Amino acid sequence: METVIDVAGLTKTYGTVRALDGLTLSIPRGGVYGVLGPNGAGKSTLFRILLGLIRPSEGTARVLGGDIGDVAAMRRMGSMIETPRFPPFLSARQVLQWLAQAHGMGGSAQIDHWLDRVGLAEAADRRVRGFSVGMMQRLGVAAALMTRPDLVILDEPTSGMDPPGIQEMRALIRSLAADDGVTVILASHQLLEVQRVCDRVAILNKGRLVREGTVSDLMSDGEQLVLKVGPVDTALAILGARASLSGDGVRVAATRAEGPGLIRLLVQGGVDIHEARWVGTDLEGVFFTETGAVRAPEVDHAG
Amino acid sequence: MLADAIRAETWRLVHNRTTVFWSALFLPVIGVVMAVIGNTVMKSGAARMTVQGDVPPQLAQMLTGGPVRVIEEIISSVGEMANPAVLLFMLIGAAALYSGDYRWETWRLISARNSRTNLILGKVATLGLLALAAMIALLAGEIAEVFIKAMVLERPVSWAVDANAAGRFAALFGLSWLAIMQFTLVALLAAVTTRSLLAAMFVPIVVGAVQTLSPQGLAAMGIEPDAWIAVLINPGLGFSLLQAWVSGASGLPDQAVMKALATVGLWLVWPLAAALALFQRQDLSKE
Repeated sequence: METVIDVAGLTKTYGTVRALDGLTLSIPRGGVYGVLGPNGAGKSTLFRILLGLIRPSEGTARVLGGDIGDVAAMRRMGSMIETPRFPPFLSARQVLQWLAQAHGMGGSAQIDHWLDRVGLAEAADRRVRGFSVGMMQRLGVAAALMTRPDLVILDEPTSGMDPPGIQEMRALIRSLAADDGVTVILASHQLLEVQRVCDRVAILNKGRLVREGTVSDLMSDGEQLVLKVGPVDTALAILGARASLSGDGVRVAATRAEGPGLIRLLVQGGVDIHEARWVGTDLEGVFFTETGAVRAPEVDHAG
Repeated sequence: MLADAIRAETWRLVHNRTTVFWSALFLPVIGVVMAVIGNTVMKSGAARMTVQGDVPPQLAQMLTGGPVRVIEEIISSVGEMANPAVLLFMLIGAAALYSGDYRWETWRLISARNSRTNLILGKVATLGLLALAAMIALLAGEIAEVFIKAMVLERPVSWAVDANAAGRFAALFGLSWLAIMQFTLVALLAAVTTRSLLAAMFVPIVVGAVQTLSPQGLAAMGIEPDAWIAVLINPGLGFSLLQAWVSGASGLPDQAVMKALATVGLWLVWPLAAALALFQRQDLSKE
């Protein structure tokens, strides 16, 4: 499998803080790859290292077959990390013109095309100092894509955008991967968006990789057996640590092969089974499980 | 790739009209305005004194001292172009160029696709072009001031030129440009070290002030003003010696010229080398 990014034992320390802790990860060419993690997981640190903005404390990283700092390889990559910032005295069009000069693109930049594609055609000649956060994000995406890269890293591309903007960005990301053959690496806290857009994801926590795989595999691995039983305490005692009580019954982390055996165990233990069903989990469920974060209870607004 | 960096920096600077105006155009414009006002005031003052029969000798000389020697006045002004006022306003451009990407957090847009050396050299080259533009604007302003003086004071204009005027003009122009570049390279080092626009503005001023006062301090320690250490820490002294040398001053010992060249070379090279070395290893994102 051809890879666009290979990271081995990557560590970055700031004083006593280990922002990355021996991260090893390979990202395949093609499609949309999500990088998830709570705040402080190391996502931004990883991207900064890949872009050559900071140096790792230990480990190696290769991008598009070249070491970090290999300008020929880096020139095939586009990026938008953190909140995009631009010289405030330039207009959106001028920002892209300036970057076209910096990237040696001359007249091949197709600036109007990219401004139109990110929805900034009407604001092209406005100075960026008056832009909203969403508009800055759009311009940042245009700047990242203008060079027609083979690989693009987008960090929270929909941050600050309204729902139509989010939908447009989602469509743009999918079309980049599907139609233009660009490998997109996407970091986002919008887990539903990631679930819809990404083919594979990596989940980071405390600077380490905790889970990696296709979205569908991650979600099917998280299937649970939901039982309405009585008495509940007896059932929990029989099932042990793999079971927990939730609003819709007793949830048991188990495979389908284990299901019949667990039910037999409960019946033999004197537990009545009123209902048994399998439920899948969403990416958010996988995220909370892998990062150990506590999922807030759903609020029923129906009263 | 260096060409890309120069092209991009120059393009961006040209569109930063505020910086360009204050760095390169403000002083020439003010100079012309002051020439009009100053010469007019001087002439009307002299007219009053003439009626009273009481004109000071210096004023009389300015009013009636023969033709205005255009070429000589221009060559003289070129030799003084790296004066404190010009250096101060050039710092505005230097600070914007050298610390702008830190201030606007725009390194991430350009640093992945070009070498760090090219990025810094692109900025230095652009500052060189800005300094050149400022000097040309000052020259145009000086020419205008000379003609304003001749017109207002009703003195004839002389285009007399001596044999080596072109050589002196070129040498003094080059030395003034190098002096501006040397002063603003300290701003580069300050900007890269501190990532601060204010430091890029004020550190060169402080360094320059210390260098200007250094002869007195060193004299108090018993160090002669023409000693190696005295010259090496004061590039301004080096530039003055070289200007005197190209202007044909007699009696300058060869060793003085050598020391001057050494200090000018040292202060052109070491701030740039230090800035490049620091920038190569620098983390370019805020944490």
